[in-house]
Amino acid sequence: MEAHVTPDQARLALDTVERGRLRVIDEIGLPRWYWWGLALGWIALGVITDLKHPWATAAATFAFGAVHASVAARAASGQRRTQRLSVRAELVGRDTARIVVGIVAALGCLTVGLALAAHADGARNPVTIASVFIATIILLGRPQLIAAVRRRAARTSGR
Amino acid sequence: MTAARFDELIHPSTRLSLVALLAAADWADFAFLRDELSLSDSALSKQLSTLEDAGYVDIERPVRDRRRRVRARLTPTGALAFDGHVAALRSIVENGERGPHRAA
Repeated sequence: MEAHVTPDQARLALDTVERGRLRVIDEIGLPRWYWWGLALGWIALGVITDLKHPWATAAATFAFGAVHASVAARAASGQRRTQRLSVRAELVGRDTARIVVGIVAALGCLTVGLALAAHADGARNPVTIASVFIATIILLGRPQLIAAVRRRAARTSGR
Repeated sequence: MTAARFDELIHPSTRLSLVALLAAADWADFAFLRDELSLSDSALSKQLSTLEDAGYVDIERPVRDRRRRVRARLTPTGALAFDGHVAALRSIVENGERGPHRAA
């Protein structure tokens, strides 16, 4: 079967295809519970550290790392923000998981730095203060983080 | 690289939008597709049935939270047809500026 299609019509059809791709890319993201879990876990870890029981701090850090590692493996792929669709893995790439793990590591270093500064300033609960600050950054910064991942996916996944 | 092959079944605007969404997803929920395409339930069902009959789409009905959902996913045949159709459209654009084109 043959079809008469002008270049303009073909261009419009390709625009439709591109809109579909970008619309699905808009669904890349992490579930809300992941961010809240990360922020609350961060604060809990800070509070436990300020109790100054080394065994409790070590156990809590280990538990936090283990839980995050197992959850992030499933949640941080960016493919399933909602139950409405699953974004194709090729479209998401590996960037989401890498970026999230990189940011968690960077925030860990920042927490230590802030806690040392708060301790030097005479704060009674320096790690708690630092972890609340970082938890706030996690919750406020998530839209920017996901927007960056989506922009990267839109740039790199063109057919 | 996928061979260019114009696909009459995919080309109509609504169906092209539908397949473009499915091509970027592993699967999509019926409600998501309906909302994105601004179609009624029956209109979307009809479009999906046409694509399913052609072997381009699989319809799944998983039960989650005691609710039956309807999901659609592009089959490998559908993905190949879509890639071929996009390649054909690109070819028409690239060869354009010479007037109407006849695509096989």
